Amino acid sequence: MTLVDLVLRSMRKNLKHYYLYFFALIFGVTLFFIFSTLQHDSAVVEQTDLSAKMASGFQAATVLLFGILIIFVTYANDLFLKRRSREIGLYQLVGLTKGAVSRLLIIENILLGAGAFIVGIGAGLLVSRLFLLLLMKLVGYEGFVNLSFSGAAFLQTAAVFAVLIVITSFRMFWKIRRSQLIDLFNDDQKDEHPKQPKPIRSALLGILGVAMVGFGYWFANSEYMLNMFLFLNMLLVLAFVIAGTYLVFRVTIGWLMTLVRKQKNGHIGLAGALSTAPLMHRMKANAKSLTVITTLSAMTLAMAGFAYSMYYSTEQETRVRVPHDFLIDEVGEGNEGTSAETAEQFAEDLEAAGIGYNRQSITYLDLTASMSGDHLPELLNWEENTVTTLIFNTRELKAAGLDIEEPAAGEAMIHDSGISWLMTDDVFPFEASVAAGEGTEKLNVTSLGTQEVASGYAGVYTQLTVSGETYDQIKAAAPAESQRPLVAFNLDDKDDLAEASAIFKNYREEMTLDFYSSYKESLSYNGITIFITGFLGLAFLVSTGSILYFKQMSEAEQEKRSYTTLRQLGFKTGEIMKGIRRKQAFVFGIPLLMGLVHSVFAIKSVSFMFMSTDITLPVTIAMIAYGLIYLVFAVLTIGYYRKTVHAAL
Amino acid sequence: MVTTTNTKPGRAVLQAHQIRKSFGSKLNSTEVLKGINLQVREGEFVGIMGPSGAGKTTLLNVLATIDRPTSGTITIDGNETSKMKDAQLSTFRRDKLGFIFQDYNLLDTLTVKENILLPASLGGLSKKAAEEQFNDIAGILGIKEHGHKYPHEISGGQKQRTSAARALVNHPSMVFADEPTGALDSKSASALLGTLEDVNKSRGVTIMMVTHDAVASSYCSRVIFLKDGAMYSELYRGDKARQAFFQDILNMQAVLGGDRVDAR
Repeated sequence: MTLVDLVLRSMRKNLKHYYLYFFALIFGVTLFFIFSTLQHDSAVVEQTDLSAKMASGFQAATVLLFGILIIFVTYANDLFLKRRSREIGLYQLVGLTKGAVSRLLIIENILLGAGAFIVGIGAGLLVSRLFLLLLMKLVGYEGFVNLSFSGAAFLQTAAVFAVLIVITSFRMFWKIRRSQLIDLFNDDQKDEHPKQPKPIRSALLGILGVAMVGFGYWFANSEYMLNMFLFLNMLLVLAFVIAGTYLVFRVTIGWLMTLVRKQKNGHIGLAGALSTAPLMHRMKANAKSLTVITTLSAMTLAMAGFAYSMYYSTEQETRVRVPHDFLIDEVGEGNEGTSAETAEQFAEDLEAAGIGYNRQSITYLDLTASMSGDHLPELLNWEENTVTTLIFNTRELKAAGLDIEEPAAGEAMIHDSGISWLMTDDVFPFEASVAAGEGTEKLNVTSLGTQEVASGYAGVYTQLTVSGETYDQIKAAAPAESQRPLVAFNLDDKDDLAEASAIFKNYREEMTLDFYSSYKESLSYNGITIFITGFLGLAFLVSTGSILYFKQMSEAEQEKRSYTTLRQLGFKTGEIMKGIRRKQAFVFGIPLLMGLVHSVFAIKSVSFMFMSTDITLPVTIAMIAYGLIYLVFAVLTIGYYRKTVHAAL
Repeated sequence: MVTTTNTKPGRAVLQAHQIRKSFGSKLNSTEVLKGINLQVREGEFVGIMGPSGAGKTTLLNVLATIDRPTSGTITIDGNETSKMKDAQLSTFRRDKLGFIFQDYNLLDTLTVKENILLPASLGGLSKKAAEEQFNDIAGILGIKEHGHKYPHEISGGQKQRTSAARALVNHPSMVFADEPTGALDSKSASALLGTLEDVNKSRGVTIMMVTHDAVASSYCSRVIFLKDGAMYSELYRGDKARQAFFQDILNMQAVLGGDRVDAR
């Protein structure tokens, strides 16, 4: 029998352990190949005009994908090597040299990797069109795109997998070289003995873990977060939450379980014997991997929730920045004094195309103001500077169709999407002293508007809306050259937007003056983002799920003897499975639950970026989707346990 | 067949009739048990001895409902176990039988007390009643003060006494022990056997024990010798002292397999 025969035989024998690993490898290759193809395919890049955006997004994604693949593959490999340590010992016992054993394993690894590579590329070729269609749909591109086999993508994928296989092969070689025969025979039974935790120490550390996580949550959503040390603050939060999570796994859960178990005073019952006891016993060894899984889950969830919210809210958030369907201003060379004329031409074109509209002239005052108040955001440094402030007449805006309330005389509402996240309730009211000609007009700013009232040049600056009378008063005092005319067009039927947008491009090229173009632009960005995060998230999810599955698989092997004993003592498979399901609820549930809570707080702390959208729904949808896929791994794991228990007697 | 008179009266707890057990496929099977008839009366302490491959452990497993006979009937405490379904058997084992294994088979992650109380957990026993039973049996076996310890923290003898306590906690109709002293040093072994003998006498628990050790079987009230899957003979202790019975067993072993006693 040659070495290759031996390899083939052992692979056939180990197939049932390998299949999920093999599947995960294939999945990795497929994802990587698709990402790479979409990135390299010139047709895609040209026809969609997404090259710049795509390139950076996809590049970042490929790096992340490569990272997660390395973590996952080395982890799975270590686990399998440990499982097979007895077999490896046996080979050495019958006289194979360490070199030969390494060769055997490395050949196996290469065959497995090559097999996954071929199947993965094949699957990638098959489904990449599907992915492309999905991407095109997400970015809102309508049209036909051809996709051809990309040699560059193939080579890139091949290179990445070669690296992966070299890394894992080297690890195998290294592990076998260092191993002692006796260790190999005991490796799969090497278990830490259960110990009684020291009560005071574990109580302190246990509470500390929860407190650290709690502090991270609180800090991330507190007023101390948003200042010039934002980046450092974020790192601090991350450090606290991750360290806290580790302590929770390492100490808190075990400590709480000890308390419950002590109360039972020996009457632990079968379910407890199969869940609480082995969980407590393994918490220490599993703390690190559970922390990694929780962190990855939280990252994925936060990413996916955030990206989906962005995509979901694209239209509303675009409205925040571009309130009117079309806006004609006089900014830019050759546009001075042309707004009325251009508006007339545009209106004629719209009528010619049979598009109904509402036209409204808006004149705002381009002035400066100094702000004073007790709680102005530090970050803006308003107290020391004068601020360019645009004064709008609420009545004109209402006539243009904006849903806006008219403030009382002498009061104003502030509209500025760029700084709205700093405008917490306690900032109001504050005073704006507007420099109008010789004197100043004092305005009492009482609240924050949910959207801007004009886009383009006007969208860059802080806008104040005032009542008709107050507006006239300031207008009379201010110099005539501060008056800036705008013409807003809002269509009766929003289905005409695409057609009207094409006409509008003849007059003004500034995209933010045109709602439809802005919307399309945002949609394509957010579409790519959700595409990338979605599939990265899937890769993260599949790897974390598989790691948990592999871990449980070896735990099931280790506990097989206990199941035999229990079956002999007269416990039925169903009764034993009840306890095992409870254990799995903990093993899968705790990281998921903690990941969910982490991500909720993470998303909450950045939700200020959404001005007008309630993102509860998209975030919930993303989380449910994640949970459901995660559940598949729990079900697979329980199936494996059932088989083990059933075969135990 | 060498037989002494049966001096122990009592109801038959276990009755086995024409037990056969084959392993392997239809075409290529080995018959391990070749039609064994056996009766165990209430309160007996039966030892099963025989050389390697005689079928001792197979017989015990079949009688203890862990394995099924190929043919033959087994009745324990009036229930014909050879006809029961798997689920029924599980319940039966839990309610009526106790087990002691050579390598203890304690759950490493449970304390001594938790291990002992495990069989009581599904029996619908109140916590108070279970607590009483634990105190009772752990007291007899001398492991009460180790209740909160984990198996790896106690000695082999203590582990085996924990295992015995687990077997006895439910007041089983019968206890099956497979080489209970196989992994113990001689001092722990005789301590355990002494305790089993006491429990057998004081509580009237019926015990069946497989062993290859003549010293161990000398604690029994009856010893059955198997050879090549069939009953070869049996010895009753009667009123003999243990030493004398031990000598009888040694003599029987000499007849059975020359001087060579299997050492597993």
